[in-house]
Amino acid sequence: MNVVREGVEDVRRVARGWRWGRRSLVPRSAEPWVEPVEQTVFGTDWARRRAGRVAREVAQKGGLEPVFRSQVRTRVEGVDVLSRIDGPVIFVANHASHLDTPLILLSLPDEWRRRTAVAAAADYFFDTWWRAVGSALLFNTFPIDRRGGAMSATPGEVLADGWSLVVFPEGTRSQDGWTGRFRLGAAYLACEHGIPVVPIAHRGTFAAMPRGQNWPSPGRRQLTIRFGEPLRPEPDESPRSFAPKIRDAVASLLDEESSTWWEARRRAAAGAIPDPSGPDVATWRRVWAQSASPQANGSRRAAWRR
Amino acid sequence: MSRPGFVLEVDDRTPPLVVHEGQGFRLEDFPLGTRVVYPPESMLTVPDVEEAIRDALLNPVDSEPLPSLLRPGMRLTIAFDDLSLPLPTMKAPDIRQRIIEQVLTLAAEAGVDDVELIAANALHRRMTPAELKHIVGERVFRSFHPQGLLYNFDAEDRDNLAHLGTTDQGEDVEISKRAAESDLLVYVNVNLVAMDGGHKSVGIGLASYKSLRHHHNPHTMVRSHSFMDHKKSHLHHSAWRMGRLIKDHVKVFQIETTLDNRVFPSPYEFLMKREWEWSVRDQASMLAVRRGLSVAPRRVRHKMFHDMRAPYGLTGVNAGEVEAVHERTIAAVHRQQLVEVQGQSDVLVMGVPYLGPYNVNSTMNPILATCMGLGYYFNSYRGQPVVRRGGAVILYHPLNEGFDQLRHPSYVDFYEEVLAETTDPAVIGEKYEQQFATDPWYIHLYRTSHAYHGVHPFYMWYWAAHAMDHVDDVIWVGGDRKVASRLGFRAASTLADALEMASDTVGASPSITYLHNPPHLIADVKV
Repeated sequence: MNVVREGVEDVRRVARGWRWGRRSLVPRSAEPWVEPVEQTVFGTDWARRRAGRVAREVAQKGGLEPVFRSQVRTRVEGVDVLSRIDGPVIFVANHASHLDTPLILLSLPDEWRRRTAVAAAADYFFDTWWRAVGSALLFNTFPIDRRGGAMSATPGEVLADGWSLVVFPEGTRSQDGWTGRFRLGAAYLACEHGIPVVPIAHRGTFAAMPRGQNWPSPGRRQLTIRFGEPLRPEPDESPRSFAPKIRDAVASLLDEESSTWWEARRRAAAGAIPDPSGPDVATWRRVWAQSASPQANGSRRAAWRR
Repeated sequence: MSRPGFVLEVDDRTPPLVVHEGQGFRLEDFPLGTRVVYPPESMLTVPDVEEAIRDALLNPVDSEPLPSLLRPGMRLTIAFDDLSLPLPTMKAPDIRQRIIEQVLTLAAEAGVDDVELIAANALHRRMTPAELKHIVGERVFRSFHPQGLLYNFDAEDRDNLAHLGTTDQGEDVEISKRAAESDLLVYVNVNLVAMDGGHKSVGIGLASYKSLRHHHNPHTMVRSHSFMDHKKSHLHHSAWRMGRLIKDHVKVFQIETTLDNRVFPSPYEFLMKREWEWSVRDQASMLAVRRGLSVAPRRVRHKMFHDMRAPYGLTGVNAGEVEAVHERTIAAVHRQQLVEVQGQSDVLVMGVPYLGPYNVNSTMNPILATCMGLGYYFNSYRGQPVVRRGGAVILYHPLNEGFDQLRHPSYVDFYEEVLAETTDPAVIGEKYEQQFATDPWYIHLYRTSHAYHGVHPFYMWYWAAHAMDHVDDVIWVGGDRKVASRLGFRAASTLADALEMASDTVGASPSITYLHNPPHLIADVKV
């Protein structure tokens, strides 16, 4: 019996020490010595073919959505903007948690959800075959290389095939829940392909499942998501001038979340949109502010509600 | 490109770390802030071993090419390191075989008839024919062993020893007569660690007790800081003086080799990897090995470990004049093993593995375990010891393997009679060494059986003298309490207990450094 007990104890220690089921961590002092991994190119075209679409529909509606709704509550606003445009579009959102992607996808009308793909970091979601297959099947992800490099499908090709994209221009999840710097990728795609950008702002995902957590906190935390008016780049507009407009649109939606549509509009018109990167205060205060879930019914009256 | 060694600081992300303990290993959770010294990864090996050897023989350092030193009618002796190197035993073909074959090919081409091969085992045990064969290869063995021309050195064969004189410090130099009277002595070495090679090869490997006693004594060894730094080791200074005297009598053509850090074959490769980089396969292998070891009978466990053959790769081969060659060799060893460590710590932790130089195909008895931990691993530093003076050393080993009566007969008496009286190296040397060194029964077993010389356990104890002098506390985690007590140390069940016990010496919150060894490393301590 001792042998069995010791065996079980060994397995437990390894499971705990090597974080089975979670991403392994490198000790901080060893980080400078981590070898760059040779990126394997995983094809994801299959996930956008008919069989992949059917499998995803089953997985999303039969698995993802019930589980998601059982763990969090959502409030979706402004989604009617989609009824006024035709796809494809680029959905651009702030990024604070792994809940962001299912929140966005499951907030979209079905016909939009079925035609939306998600740009995902190759070094994170495509580092192993099972993670690549899982994320491509469930979320219709395709890999983008944050460091630059050859990938199996480019965002342009996916857009050209008529798919809308979800892009998180921050490139990574926020450390403290506040919005970081926007990279130019989404603006570049919009300008290059003349495709509208639909800004999205959401709150509560950081409070529900921040970095380091692989399951939402108990208590069905409240999440809110707000879709904004589509932005179209001017003819010959450069990504560098278009990108700030996208960030402002997301920032204005976040402002709207904490005030009203009208107040947010007026501040936007006056060029006084609150900085979405948050106040320059102690880290704990920044985290503290974001770790509170939004109110269940919203403290203010929303402009639109689904 | 291989990564250099580095010092890890244990944090909340650090998984349990492997610590060797005899025929097994444990996963240890070190206190946060513990420094862990990891050896460099294996360097690039030479692309063509045969070509590298040929090049070294034809283009030696500070010497004529080997072919020009060979002529018909000459007496050629080839000496080579015994089975104490490398550790674990190298997967066939051994690098010594490959070199000796090329040397013999050149000798045959030059028409040399008088060739003898001597294993430079000094006071180590005689190797069995199978062990000799593994080192030199089947062709060499078949050509020389049946005629008695391939043999172990016998340091007690008075008729075949030559006294070459004394050094300027009065040290006797007495080595193999055949080697001393040869026209050319070719020495083939495996420089596994920095203390090997140089004048230590011939000056110690082919020497008798009369010579060895001048440097293998507590007085010299306690002042060797450290054995891994030959320029600061009194033992090496003595060997160098002797080597220079030998050079005046016989032409030595030294061939030194350096190896990479691949000490563990499949499926034990995970032991060479940094734990947080273990793949699922590595984790599964580790679990399988640990579970296998836990249910395996002692005999099977012994076989699992001692049947390991290391897939070492050759990182360099240099030939020519002893000191010039050795400079190059040491540079290569440092490239492979040196790790910079900032400052000393209060506690030094080391895991003593199943194998040391003196228990190949045998057991790691408590004296050898002490030598391995406090002798070899403690001395794996350059500059200053990793632990501060007055600090504590924590070692992992069960100390329960007992004694091998065939190979270590004098160790039994040393343990039962000498250590029961005192553990002070100086007193032991003064009072008992002569008796053991000249005991006719031990000499008989050394010469005719496979026993280490009677004085050998004393040398093992002297190896540890510097560490015993330097630290105030030595605690064995997982060690047999009675055995640890006989050795003059203490035993603890866990690291936490050991730290608690050491708190009298180093306080309640000591700084801790763990040497993640093997693979081999040298801590280059900057103070």
